[in-house]
Amino acid sequence: MGAYLVERLVFLEWIRTLAGNEQVYFPQPLAESSFHFARVHSSSLLALEDFDDPHRTTIFRASACVPPPARILAPEGEQLFTFRRDGAGDCTLTPVLDSSRRILAGVRPCDLKAIALMDRFQRATIPDPHYLVRREHTLLIGHDCLHPCDRYCFCDAAGSLAWREGADIFLTPQPGARLLVEALTDQGAVLLAGAGFPACGEVEECRARAEARRPDPFGRRFAASLDDVMAAVAKGWDADVWQEQSMRCFSCGTCNLVCPTCSCFDVRDDFSVEDPDSGRRTRHWDGCMLENFAVVAGGHNFRKSPAARQRHRVMRKFVYQPHRFGGTSFCVGCGRCRRQCTVDIDIFEIASELLAAAGEGA
Amino acid sequence: MKAMDPRILTPAMVRIVEATDMTAHERFFRLRLPRPLRHAPGQFVMASIPGIGEAPISICCGPGDHDRLELLVRSAGSLTMAMQQLGAGDQMGIRGPFGTGFDLAEFEGCDVLIVAGGLGLAPLRSLIEPLLAERNRFGRITIISGCRTPADELFRDEMRAWGRAPGTRVIRLVNDTAHLPWDGEVGLVTAPIAGLDIPPATLAVLCGPPVMYKFVIMELAARGLAHDRIFIDLERRMRCGIGKCGHCQINHLTCCQDGPVFRLSAVEALPEALA
Ligand SMILES: Cc1cc2nc3c(=O)[nH]c(=O)nc-3n(C[C@H](O)[C@H](O)[C@H](O)COP(=O)(O)OP(=O)(O)OC[C@H]3O[C@@H](n4cnc5c(N)ncnc54)[C@H](O)[C@@H]3O)c2cc1C
Ligand code: SF4
Ligand code: SF4
Repeated sequence: MGAYLVERLVFLEWIRTLAGNEQVYFPQPLAESSFHFARVHSSSLLALEDFDDPHRTTIFRASACVPPPARILAPEGEQLFTFRRDGAGDCTLTPVLDSSRRILAGVRPCDLKAIALMDRFQRATIPDPHYLVRREHTLLIGHDCLHPCDRYCFCDAAGSLAWREGADIFLTPQPGARLLVEALTDQGAVLLAGAGFPACGEVEECRARAEARRPDPFGRRFAASLDDVMAAVAKGWDADVWQEQSMRCFSCGTCNLVCPTCSCFDVRDDFSVEDPDSGRRTRHWDGCMLENFAVVAGGHNFRKSPAARQRHRVMRKFVYQPHRFGGTSFCVGCGRCRRQCTVDIDIFEIASELLAAAGEGA
Repeated sequence: MKAMDPRILTPAMVRIVEATDMTAHERFFRLRLPRPLRHAPGQFVMASIPGIGEAPISICCGPGDHDRLELLVRSAGSLTMAMQQLGAGDQMGIRGPFGTGFDLAEFEGCDVLIVAGGLGLAPLRSLIEPLLAERNRFGRITIISGCRTPADELFRDEMRAWGRAPGTRVIRLVNDTAHLPWDGEVGLVTAPIAGLDIPPATLAVLCGPPVMYKFVIMELAARGLAHDRIFIDLERRMRCGIGKCGHCQINHLTCCQDGPVFRLSAVEALPEALA
């Protein structure tokens, strides 16, 4: 479908040129050690990690992007419809569907997997048109990881490191400050066709070279297979770990907001300030760790304790969503929830404890 | 998977043709639909006022090829309070129908026991209407409906009329007469169950506040009714009705799609179902 071997700087220049004409999102530094996906322009500073850098001094921790790129496909506050009220008080409603074209470049394997899982979830049973229309008009340029982000990453253990599905173009760092640039879909091939990049005749070798560069183990490893971990979590309803690991939880919901496979939302209506006869309905990121998430009219809370909410979050990643949407873990091992949690609550540790407990019980 | 409907989260504006206060907190609405909903009894709509908000509301009229939509709305928060101000001629935003409903074919020839607590009577009315409309298709019908005081009773005249249908018994209860005139019984909805004849082929249908289910199910179990003969209609917070907002999840199920009508045997093993 087209593979090219390109100097990294030439490729980044091509991205900048694209960004001059279209909506391109690329990891941008946010603080000392953190990145976020932001709209870039023809003059933006762009960087990608270097194959040869032995000290990883310029390691580009793109998968630590907060929030994850999946959230660009379901942005905070997105409009569902606008309305206008006429003189008689009757309303006309117009759905808002965003079909503008976007390119998300520099998406790491864990986030590719997360987006693929969100695609499945949003397409299932009654499809969500607002997500799907935006997704349909979004191209993904993936980027391989040669090093785990940091000590919290467990993407390989969560079955994400080798994920390619969903990427239109995939980049693999190569020696000599070059990139293997592969088109994985027709749309990706079309985009690359006009770039004038030199073709690559040894794709397999390039891939193998990158793979050999990776440390082993790559990030944290569970003591058993991912299937065993998922089975252990499924059996852990009555485990003590929920209470133990939730005692210090603030129910702040940060772990939900940074998770690439969290998609729960609340809905809000507003009248326009300038024109009170018009307004809109918008949706907003919500999280099952927040205290009122499962409160119904009358005040009954179906998940009153932080432990019940933590159990729900973890079960949703390893048991409930996999059960319904294709079997694979919805925790992609990006480590974001651990990284961002002020009190260091770690889903990897929780899953590992459940695994150990299941082993003792067996 | 269904085809993508670009308007699935955008309500249709539907005209209210009748609106009456049923109690101090509950208002009854009849709307005229542009086309029939073709709902199953037990399904719900997402009802809204643009600019104010949206909430799941049970369809309380029977199914069929008609353009009627009836809703009973209790003032419970910002939107449902605002709805108390709507009258005939006003519009309401409607999406749906959503969720699972009852399959009337399964009720054919069976005795039916309906237990409603408070507002639970509203969704169950969508089942009672078709059961009574074709009375001969079904066995004996017993309706137990309880509320706090006589002032809170819903569909009083209709319940009296249902009780006059052949082979149909309606037991109306209040927790407390609150010194008001009352021609029904006093007690909880669980109380009359012990005195009923409940053959194994009975289908029982329950809808009410969360605390009600456990006790009614205990009574029914004591009478030997199998759990696949019991339906429960559950309420959860819902923001979309299409299985996406996450609020209504009950373990791996979503109340808006796998419910709100569940067969007890299908959910009793789920720790969150009757929590
Ligand atoms: C399937 C289904 C069918 C239903 N059928 C009917 C029906 O037929 N008729 C009917 O009247 N109702 C019905 N309901 C209930 C109805 O949906 C709720 O009463 C409604 O959503 C309330 O919306 P609201 O905007 O008026 O209230 P809200 O402003 O959302 O508040 C409602 C209540 O929720 C709680 N609450 C909300 N947000 C918070 C928060 N952030 N923190 C703490 N507590 C909070 C409070 O207790 C508050 O009193 C049904 C619900 C379901 C799920
Ligand atoms: S686990 Fe951490 S991030 Fe998540 S709600 Fe609790 S304190 Fe917040
Ligand atoms: S649960 Fe945590 S580690 Fe797993 S995908 Fe979500 S944010 Fe990443």
